[in-house]
Amino acid sequence: MDIFLERLFDGVTNGAVYAIMALALVVVFRSTGTINFAQGEMALFTTYLAWWLTTVGLPIWAGALAAGATGFLLGAVVERTLIRPIRRRNDMASLIVALGLFTAFNALAGLLWNSETKPMPSLFPAGLEDFFPVAGARLYWDALGVWLVVLALIAGVFFLFNRTRLGLQMRAVADNAESAALSGVPTGRILMLGWGLAGIVGSLAGVLVTPLSATQLSLTTMFPILIYASAAALFGGLDSPVGAVVGGLAIGVLEALITGYVEFIGGTLPQTAALVVIVLILLFRPTGLFGTRQLERL
Amino acid sequence: MTLLSVQNLTAGYGQARVLHGVDLTIEEGEAVVVLGANGAGKTTTMRALAGLIGFGGRVEFEGSPLAGLRPDAVVARGVSLVPQGRGTFPHLTVLENLHVGAALRRDKRGIKEDIERWCGVFPVLAERTGQAAGTLSGGEQQMLAVARALMSRPRLLLCDEPSLGLAPKIVAELFGILATINREQGVSLLLVEQNAELALALAGRVYLLEVGRVIASGTAAEFREDETVRRAYLGY
Ligand SMILES: Nc1ncnc2c1ncn2[C@@H]1O[C@H](COP(=O)(O)OP(=O)(O)O)[C@@H](O)[C@H]1O
Ligand SMILES: [Mg+2]
Repeated sequence: MDIFLERLFDGVTNGAVYAIMALALVVVFRSTGTINFAQGEMALFTTYLAWWLTTVGLPIWAGALAAGATGFLLGAVVERTLIRPIRRRNDMASLIVALGLFTAFNALAGLLWNSETKPMPSLFPAGLEDFFPVAGARLYWDALGVWLVVLALIAGVFFLFNRTRLGLQMRAVADNAESAALSGVPTGRILMLGWGLAGIVGSLAGVLVTPLSATQLSLTTMFPILIYASAAALFGGLDSPVGAVVGGLAIGVLEALITGYVEFIGGTLPQTAALVVIVLILLFRPTGLFGTRQLERL
Repeated sequence: MTLLSVQNLTAGYGQARVLHGVDLTIEEGEAVVVLGANGAGKTTTMRALAGLIGFGGRVEFEGSPLAGLRPDAVVARGVSLVPQGRGTFPHLTVLENLHVGAALRRDKRGIKEDIERWCGVFPVLAERTGQAAGTLSGGEQQMLAVARALMSRPRLLLCDEPSLGLAPKIVAELFGILATINREQGVSLLLVEQNAELALALAGRVYLLEVGRVIASGTAAEFREDETVRRAYLGY
């Protein structure tokens, strides 16, 4: 029982991180109708920045703030300088630019901070003794912290999209950019803000997940998370924040239980399984469980 | 007073020039219709005026040029386009569509009053405020598109073939509402149509567009008398 609960807790925590990353994908998709495959590597870069700031003596929360701010700037600048000029041409071009960015941010992080694994400090108490017992299982503070951040984020994203002018304008631009412009929405600024906000959310995911990750902070930390997050976003529906969170949690829990109980499954097989899930969803239910819009372009 | 003055308007797509020098004017409070066959360049004219595509020539609205303005800046100046094919936001609710139409406004009270006003004018919308626009019928979507465009409180409303694909009864209702809005709200109207009969009943003046040029213009009454126009556009 207690071992099952602990695996469940682990799964929920990992799932929460996938959910945050999936939220970042959903924010971009809802405001611009594009999937940003470079989201994970942009987060990797800002996470390295947060780590580097702690090595020069800043507390991790200050590093996290700096990562969020940099994530916003990176997202906004990338949209303005790289995505916008080619968007009007065709959608394949956006995908190729995203893949290029993926490589570029990864290489840049490697160049600035080399490829050695870094121990990443946690935002929450993360010692071996920092837990409290729940029904005979240990619930660690850093896991609980991640859960709370996810709850706060989904509330924030929901509020943004459904209760604010900016959120409504983002949805309008994603739905019909031309009519949004004809209604007086400054579409360029809205897209830039959408990418910026996703940059903040992604950076947060990076800073939260690396201390929990077995690999700590390395150049490959974010890639599997992006795969799981993409599967989560597709599973839940690309335009649905709730779907992203449900999808993220489902995948996290499944991953923890399967790797925990099925002995012969190695560490990378779940990623392959996630990719299979992505393909199956695209084939059979392109709007996802909670979504209304399907992926028409990447 | 002249509201919109268009002189020698040229526009096109890539290398292909579609408009070869269009001239037209709209006086304050007028309802003007542009008639023309498919492919004459009516939509291109409207898209140029709304800032969706670049153009050459002189276009002045209330005395100052519109050239080089982005669509949102054109809306801010008081010109609002209902595009061909309606251009609603299918995944947003009717109410949200109307709110997006007020994107440039800050007066919460006024926005609310306008939503009530247009829901009164278009009762089909009042019954469906919470429904996604994509689930409305074609006629309802066209009404929503017009209401959405009116939410910016334009001085000039551009309507690109609002009758397209609608049942005659709905078209008559829509044109009746457009006439009322023009008369009672002081919104000037530039309407593009292939349905000449209805358009002539609504408009005071007419321009006839052919392959990117205005080949005739006059009052609606003159046009109804004109033999060639009757044959080509009215079918009798
Ligand atoms: N997006 C476009 N790209 C290239 N050519 C276009 C485009 N839209 C319209 N055209 C061409 O421009 C001409 C005028 O089209 P349009 O302004 O839509 O006419 P109308 O609205 O009077 O039917 C047509 O020959 C059409 O083929
Ligand atoms: Mg047309």
